Amino acid sequence: MIKITNLEKVYRTEEVETIALNKLSLEVKQGEFVAVMGPSGCGKSTLLNILGLLDDADTGSFIFNGIEVVSFNERKRADLRKHNIGFVFQSFNLIDELTVFENVELPLIYTGVKAAERKKKVDEVLNKVQIMHRRNHYPQQLSGGQQQRVAVARAVVNDPKLILADEPTGNLDSSNGNEVMQMLTELNEQGTTIVMVTHSEHDARYSHRIIRMLDGQTVLQNIMV
Amino acid sequence: MIRNYLIMAFRNMNRHRAFAFINIAGLAVGIASCIVLFLVVKYELSYDQFLPGHQQVYHVVTKQVYPDRVHYQPGVATPALDALRTDFPDLATGAIYHNSGGQVTALGKDPNKQSDQKYIEGAGIMFADPQFFTVFPYTWLSGSPSVLSEPNTVVLTRKMATKYFGNWKEAQGQYLRIDNALTMRVAGILEDVPLNTDFPLAVVPSLISSKNNPELYGYDNDWGSMNSNFQVFVRLPANVSAASLDARMQAFSKKYYTEGRSVKSNFLQPLSDIHFNKEIESFGDHSISKATLWSLSLVGVFIILMACINFVNMSTAQAVNRSKEIGIRKVLGSRRSSLFGQMMGETAAMVFIALLLGVVLAALCLPYVKYVASIEEPLSVFNPQVLLFALVLGVLVSFLAGSYPALVVSGFNPLLALKNKFSSASVAGVSLRRVLVVTQFAISQALIIGTIIAVTQMGAIKNADIGFNKDAVMVISAPGDSVIQSRQQAFKSALLANPQVKAVSFSSDVPSSDNNWSNNFAFDHKEDENFHLFLKYADQDYFNTYGIEFIAGHGFSKSDTVNGYVVNQTLLKKLGIQDPQSVIGKDIRRGGGQWFPIVGVVKDFRTNSMRDDIVPLAIASWRDVYSASGIKISGTDFTNTTAFVQTQWNKFFPEYANTSSFMDERIADFYRQEDQLALLYKIFAGIAIFISCLGLYGLVSFMAVQRTREVGIRKTLGASVGQIVYLFSKEFTLLVIIAFAVAAPLAWLFMNKWLQNFTYKINVGAGIFVLAIVISMVIAWITVGYKSLRAALANPVKSLRNE
Repeated sequence: MIKITNLEKVYRTEEVETIALNKLSLEVKQGEFVAVMGPSGCGKSTLLNILGLLDDADTGSFIFNGIEVVSFNERKRADLRKHNIGFVFQSFNLIDELTVFENVELPLIYTGVKAAERKKKVDEVLNKVQIMHRRNHYPQQLSGGQQQRVAVARAVVNDPKLILADEPTGNLDSSNGNEVMQMLTELNEQGTTIVMVTHSEHDARYSHRIIRMLDGQTVLQNIMV
Repeated sequence: MIRNYLIMAFRNMNRHRAFAFINIAGLAVGIASCIVLFLVVKYELSYDQFLPGHQQVYHVVTKQVYPDRVHYQPGVATPALDALRTDFPDLATGAIYHNSGGQVTALGKDPNKQSDQKYIEGAGIMFADPQFFTVFPYTWLSGSPSVLSEPNTVVLTRKMATKYFGNWKEAQGQYLRIDNALTMRVAGILEDVPLNTDFPLAVVPSLISSKNNPELYGYDNDWGSMNSNFQVFVRLPANVSAASLDARMQAFSKKYYTEGRSVKSNFLQPLSDIHFNKEIESFGDHSISKATLWSLSLVGVFIILMACINFVNMSTAQAVNRSKEIGIRKVLGSRRSSLFGQMMGETAAMVFIALLLGVVLAALCLPYVKYVASIEEPLSVFNPQVLLFALVLGVLVSFLAGSYPALVVSGFNPLLALKNKFSSASVAGVSLRRVLVVTQFAISQALIIGTIIAVTQMGAIKNADIGFNKDAVMVISAPGDSVIQSRQQAFKSALLANPQVKAVSFSSDVPSSDNNWSNNFAFDHKEDENFHLFLKYADQDYFNTYGIEFIAGHGFSKSDTVNGYVVNQTLLKKLGIQDPQSVIGKDIRRGGGQWFPIVGVVKDFRTNSMRDDIVPLAIASWRDVYSASGIKISGTDFTNTTAFVQTQWNKFFPEYANTSSFMDERIADFYRQEDQLALLYKIFAGIAIFISCLGLYGLVSFMAVQRTREVGIRKTLGASVGQIVYLFSKEFTLLVIIAFAVAAPLAWLFMNKWLQNFTYKINVGAGIFVLAIVISMVIAWITVGYKSLRAALANPVKSLRNE
């Protein structure tokens, strides 16, 4: 599903040049659950951003579902993103002015789904993450765990092929964190590919494979059994 | 999608209520100002546009070229009417003789009845010929223009007929007496003329009636003299342009105007110019220059621009708060264009609310504005034209205010946006926001400077030494006919019997007025001078009554005719004479008549309004032309003395309506328009200041939020409250100063030009500019002060813990 080869990303300021990704190559197969680990500044987030088509690389190749996307412009990337990729963030990133229902509905609006269909799908997914009873609440009225469940619901409502999770349990206590990890696992079992950046060895154990990064390169891969 | 955007828009407004309020309030006030100004400007531009075929109607006016000046005359020589008809048979030509302040006595069905129903018609009595109604095709409710071909017939408007006879339908055939002299039969009724006209037709006797009474109405049938009350109008055939008649008009003028000292020529003034031409007087109660209308429109544009600037400033500053939302939307696949649309939609929603408020606000303010702009017509905000204007304005404002912030916000990089890596400084560049604030402050400071200058000028005029004593002088004007003159002495004696009455004088004119009676003249048995001598005729008590000071000689002795002249300093200056004593005993001759000696020289007083120069003047006695009574009363028992004078007037002149007023009121009336303009400036300068303060307040409160952490750190490190407040104010202070540097020269240029309208004008000194910058600075500091003080007083522990 994902094949990146010799990917390079350098951040430059006037005086400092930081190499975030150093000729990184990586492959993720359809249906895989991959955890990316490493110390702060090793390039995990940059990698995730590039995978999510939020950022672009300086050189190298990125083939997504058989299509080379390195040269895509913003509009094409936005289109590819909204149909194929769901995001889960450490800080949830829900829109404060929208209710739970409206937040989850948002990706469907952008992909042009009709209102009745949207309602059905949102309710379905809210049921699935067991947050239906709070559908008309605003994010601030929910606990962290509940907010992350909403975020997960939003990430999956469009049936994306890929979910990118950036420290999804970073802001949660352990029981809420486990719940979220359980949900991701279930999604993966239903066929969704997941790439997750995490600091937590505990969370990483939910994945099939752990990629360890240092200084913009993969240094080790653990296959989980 | 739209629904989602609307939800966002309203929830955002609700969440950032203060910002929404500031934005909407600023826009609403701006929009209301624009609507009101639009109404005023539109109304003034609509003058006489209701007349069918108004483009083809022209006023025949006269240009008089003297050796030392050029004068434009709304009237023509009386024989010109017939000559125009002969020489221009292709034009429809009509005439009006205007008698301002004439008196109408409603008699009813019996023409010989005495009646108490006396009215002074301020708008005047307009004698017209039947052809006038070919040029001005007004609606006739009964009768037809031809009734005006007979003498002693009169046509009334519906309103006047109702006023005089109760029911306009019964007016036809009843009688009126005009100026206590002419008894007239009502022969036709006209539909009321709209108020936006310079031809306020009310009482229209036949022109032939004025022609038949030349001693009463000065109809002299002489090519050598001009009468501004006698005016001619033409209607051009559809295929004829005014320009094509220029040459024929020139030839016409050469052919007939062979007398008099000035070179006279007639030309055509378009009807559409009458309301805006200040050089050629109209019958209307006011004229307004196009320049004034444009400057009012400009003020409107400025104000709405300032409101838009506020909006842009606040939205870009506030965009930081929305960066997360934008980031999420982009991550979820929103395109830039749809985000742009969303932002524009939000602006449009706010503008729409502001529009509704603005329309309501305008409707509420309208009565006051009508009063300020002296518009009597019932104007309404709720008419299709205004609503269309408001709608167009709304769309324009949405684009002006919304597009830039929308462009900026929709262009956020989603990664940075999600991480809240934007500060208000990095969004849209601080420099742009500074430029906008400077622009705003420049506009409001220019308006402040303009207002200070206008108000100072008006104050200076009102308090200027006019050279005579205008206080406690009652003035009663009445037709200068023989009936009045025969009773004047008895009236005077009766008044003077009351010790509260200090002096009484009869004259052709009060010292300061818009009247101009002038003649060619000669001095000291030489040739005629190359400038005109202006004349006021008065009895010997004139100087005493109005407190006019002598600098040489004395007043003339009691006489019914001229026996000597009192002249003013300006005349001596024009004649090149230094010593006023030296002219006493020298002779003056006016209009080629008899020589009379100069008996006194008076200190200059304002012969006209402060807009005009003091004219070279001679005062002499001539009972036949006295029409104004000046009564100087003591200030101690004002009410009773005034009542006493009124009673005496009614006793001696029962046929004449009492039109008393006080001299100081009459003088104040001269400057009504300037007063109104000054008031308008004040109002709109106030609005401009309000809007820019709103913007400033918004920016500072935003800055305070953004810099909470910085303030916390600074305070932890030992900064004092004063230092924090300084931190916030120093930038704005600098911006105000830059804005001043831009505004001051522009305002100075503009106002200097405005001051050229006055001969008596204030010096625009540094003081005015210092005052302007101090005002803006104080307002800016007060606006900034509260918020920055609050930020400075906040507990730093809290702000840091929030991080």
